[in-house]
Amino acid sequence: MVLVAPQQEQAPPAQSEEPAQVAQPAAARDEVLALLRDGSGQRPRFDPGLSGGLRAWLEDAAADLVARRGEDAAPLFLGPRLLWDGPAPAADPAGRPDDPFPAEWVRSCLVRALFTQVVTTGQVEDPLGDALDALRVDPSRADMVRHLDELPQAARAALAPSLRTHVENLMHLTPRFAPAWLPRTHDRVAIPLAGGRVVLSGVFDLLVGAPVPGRATLCALGLTTGGRWAQARTALHYLALLETLRSGTPPFRLALLHSAAGRYGVEDVLEEHLRTIVSHVVARLSALGPGDV
Amino acid sequence: MSDGWSCRASGSRGLTGALLEPFGAATRHDRASMLDAARQIPRTLADLAVPRPGGGSFRLTDHHVRAALAPPESVTADTPFAWSARTARRALGLTSLRALVTGAVRSPIDGMALAIDDAVRAARQGENAASPMDRWLAGLPPASRAAVQAGAVTWATRVWCAVDWTAFEEPPTIGRDHWWDSPHSSLLALRSRAEIRSVARDQAGSPLSVHLVVLGGPRRATIKFELSAAAVVEVLCARRSLPPGRMVGWWPDSGHLVTVEIDQLALHDGVTAVARTLASVTATPAEYEEATRAAA
Repeated sequence: MVLVAPQQEQAPPAQSEEPAQVAQPAAARDEVLALLRDGSGQRPRFDPGLSGGLRAWLEDAAADLVARRGEDAAPLFLGPRLLWDGPAPAADPAGRPDDPFPAEWVRSCLVRALFTQVVTTGQVEDPLGDALDALRVDPSRADMVRHLDELPQAARAALAPSLRTHVENLMHLTPRFAPAWLPRTHDRVAIPLAGGRVVLSGVFDLLVGAPVPGRATLCALGLTTGGRWAQARTALHYLALLETLRSGTPPFRLALLHSAAGRYGVEDVLEEHLRTIVSHVVARLSALGPGDV
Repeated sequence: MSDGWSCRASGSRGLTGALLEPFGAATRHDRASMLDAARQIPRTLADLAVPRPGGGSFRLTDHHVRAALAPPESVTADTPFAWSARTARRALGLTSLRALVTGAVRSPIDGMALAIDDAVRAARQGENAASPMDRWLAGLPPASRAAVQAGAVTWATRVWCAVDWTAFEEPPTIGRDHWWDSPHSSLLALRSRAEIRSVARDQAGSPLSVHLVVLGGPRRATIKFELSAAAVVEVLCARRSLPPGRMVGWWPDSGHLVTVEIDQLALHDGVTAVARTLASVTATPAEYEEATRAAA
């Protein structure tokens, strides 16, 4: 998947004698939509044994990990952060004790809340206010909301322009899916291994399409709010793997939206992607020791 | 009771097949003898629900059963009930699914828009039918309401996509909980929650009820006991409806299914689960109401 700019931004300016076109927000999201739809009448079939083979590979690694940690150890919940070296590959990222709400994580949560709103209503009035209102109905974010409410006025004011940039880019990039596409946000996947002692989990920012057994029919849209593009792409492949294990077939196509840069990428899911990511997960599971999580 | 976990794809054929799979030839006879055996259960449960100092009535839901059966290390303190995107999604999602099944709308999003509009209108017009959730929704700012709507759309879409709706003989019942009130003790009532209720037949063509329960949280060893406790309620309520056939639990997060055929062993497990739940109850009546609403 290559990070691309919307075509209207790639066009050299003033080459035409016509006045330069003012960027129309609809154009980029229409590009994304067209790329997601392209060839959608020929959805690929995947080997029905693929999911079982990938699962067996992961089960072996999970069983080894359980043996190292001990049968009585608490279940291990591992999110996409498992994929990178780091001290805490837990499912739900959280700050350190000395910084419980890192700015990047807070921004990511706020932007994701706004992305959900863009998908649901197609509009955002006041980015910071709306994001906070969205998080207020999520009890798991109560502490973060309290933290944001208690921020000094200057710090809140500094956050607002950044959020406005993200929202403008999201409005620019996010297709308006018809209800018949069945768009659903924040779709959680959790795949238990080793009898539930190891759980691989993640959350799709947006899924569209209806699952059909044996045929890849879903499109998954992911969001990155400023991290490394390659890392975000790998995380999306990880989610595609989890969907393969959940439903037996991977998503048909993936789109990654970079809300800070206003760029996007779209790619088909290939067996090669799944085998690469499962190999990576197996390597990471093998590297985890009893005290790592 | 069936023999354990089935690891199946969450495609509509797998889930619907597990729910509507025909019963064996001896099922109806087995169920008849099971219903006879179940006559002792109301008395047994009433004897367990004895008044305790400082305690109130026992209105037990799946939430209480799950908490009572959970291993000690995974028990978390009950938090007071509050409406949130999480606690509202099932009620809104079921309303959307009902509209879809009757053909009133064409997509979960359309059904959800209808559900939320109706709820807000009922609350704003002060209609008697307005529920506490309706009033909560009506008081939310637009961005909060959009977040609630998004969560409920996802919940409803997952169920909508997971079931083959053409496989039912007639439209299934969506989200009607069954309460059983003990005839022997005014202190005791039990709830069976199911998102979809329908009918499957045995080889003679006789109908038995089947029940799909959408599950949350991790896979757990106690799930069969949880479903069996619900099966007890179905058995106790069966005198006024169809003989009970099976419970299917489904985790949308993982696509896993677990099936409990409602037989004598399931009844035994269910009564054991209810007995353990009653034994673990020490909370005040007010806390019970909170927990019951939280599980709704």
